[in-house]
Amino acid sequence: MDQPTLRVESLETGYGEVQILWGINLEVPMGNLTSILGANGAGKTTLLRAITGILPVWKGKITFQEEDITRLSPHERAIKGLIMIPEGRMIFPEMTVLENLEMGAFNKKARANLKKNMEHALALFPRLEERLSQKAGTLSGGEQQMLAIARGLMAEPQVLIFDEPSLGLAPKLVIEVFEIIQKLKEEGITMLLVEQNVHLSLAITDYAYVLAEGKVVMEGKGEDLEESEEVKRAYLGV
Amino acid sequence: MLSAWLGATLSGILLGLLYGLAAIGLNLIWGVMNVINLSHGAFIAVGMFASYFMANYLHLSPFLGVFLVLATGVVLGMITYFISLHRIISAPELSTLLATYSVSLIIIGLGTFIFTTNPRAIDITMGSVSVGGTVLPMTRILTGAFSVIFTLWLYYFLYKTWSGKAIRAVSMNRDAAELMGVNTTMSLALAFGIGVALAMTAGALTATIFPFTILSGGGYELKSFVICVLGGLGSPLGALLGGLILGLI
Ligand SMILES: Nc1ncnc2c1ncn2[C@@H]1O[C@H](COP(=O)(O)OP(=O)(O)O)[C@@H](O)[C@H]1O
Ligand SMILES: [Mg+2]
Repeated sequence: MDQPTLRVESLETGYGEVQILWGINLEVPMGNLTSILGANGAGKTTLLRAITGILPVWKGKITFQEEDITRLSPHERAIKGLIMIPEGRMIFPEMTVLENLEMGAFNKKARANLKKNMEHALALFPRLEERLSQKAGTLSGGEQQMLAIARGLMAEPQVLIFDEPSLGLAPKLVIEVFEIIQKLKEEGITMLLVEQNVHLSLAITDYAYVLAEGKVVMEGKGEDLEESEEVKRAYLGV
Repeated sequence: MLSAWLGATLSGILLGLLYGLAAIGLNLIWGVMNVINLSHGAFIAVGMFASYFMANYLHLSPFLGVFLVLATGVVLGMITYFISLHRIISAPELSTLLATYSVSLIIIGLGTFIFTTNPRAIDITMGSVSVGGTVLPMTRILTGAFSVIFTLWLYYFLYKTWSGKAIRAVSMNRDAAELMGVNTTMSLALAFGIGVALAMTAGALTATIFPFTILSGGGYELKSFVICVLGGLGSPLGALLGGLILGLI
């Protein structure tokens, strides 16, 4: 297996007094698409918030490119290339589409290649190009999700993290989002994907972890998990 | 008759622009960090004194000194942010109200102790322009012009520079800005610094027109609140327009 670029060891955290994650171990190898599956409330978003630093870690260790980043603030992790497209998109509604994309390129390294990356992002999402000067808050839900992904790409991610990118989208757009992820995989971008859409995720993922009640209850290669009846019944509610 | 009306209107516009500038600092801090800065008036007074002392002891024209006031204000505001606001920025609004009120009490307390509350005025004569029988002092014209310049500068900063865009992004979604690599703590500090600096700048300009004491900021703070409501939150130009309305009535 390839060298892991992101590694989570025995991670525990929660909100206030309430512990949500109970010793998570996880690895994201370079160039791979790794998925985290699990029912609503399993702790997927909480795990991603801990990985990106928005939520402080109680116990355990997060290593990124062989550096301990457990105590770094979110922006320091982002500058190192750990980029998340958050749940609910979190675009900047009062900024134009163009400004949102520019904000993606905020870190100095990405800023230097802004033009080139903008062309790349707009080639992936031609619909955004027609709306560059429109306020992002006036975009449709699907367009906002595309913008959130494009903004993430502008940051030149070393690891790109998705939190339920297909949530709330019409079926046609769900397929479109997965096609984009497939395309990015072919470009060699390392990704960590959280999804509730089990079939589509397992079809394109290299390796997956199944989360339930704040613990990893199963893990394996995408195709192996897809065949496992146990996964479907017990943890994914399919 | 008509010309007298024109003169009065011009005078009102010039004063309104200055009110607008005073309000912009309050508006910015409110819009970006949801903090009602109750030390706004105190910092306006600090700006008045800064201008006064630079004119009297450094023999620096207030219209040059104002740039120094702006720069000093940013630093002073950022220090104030880290001392009084940083640890409670996510706490309920009452905490930040109390914190900025304390800053105000400290400034006014120290100011009263050191400078007393005797009125002072900057001794400045720059001639005047007569518009249809109304005499408009040059100082008034300059304060109006400077107010427009500083407002446009803020506009440029917020919409054309990386630091300015970061501040706007933080005001819309702090977590998302942080995820894009923005040091949001520094952005908040800078926003507060600029808000305070603009308050001090407005004070420095006002001091060329009216006499003042350390307590004078209070009245302008109140006007600033009214203007923020009139002009709408979060827009510097809106604040300038709000100021114009208040200057004319
Ligand atoms: N901000 C919060 N404060 C307190 N509890 C939270 C918060 N966010 C999520 N939780 C709780 O943490 C658990 C895991 O939530 P989450 O990580 O969002 O799950 P998932 O993303 O897998 O649906 C849930 O029980 C949820 O109620
Ligand atoms: Mg979630």
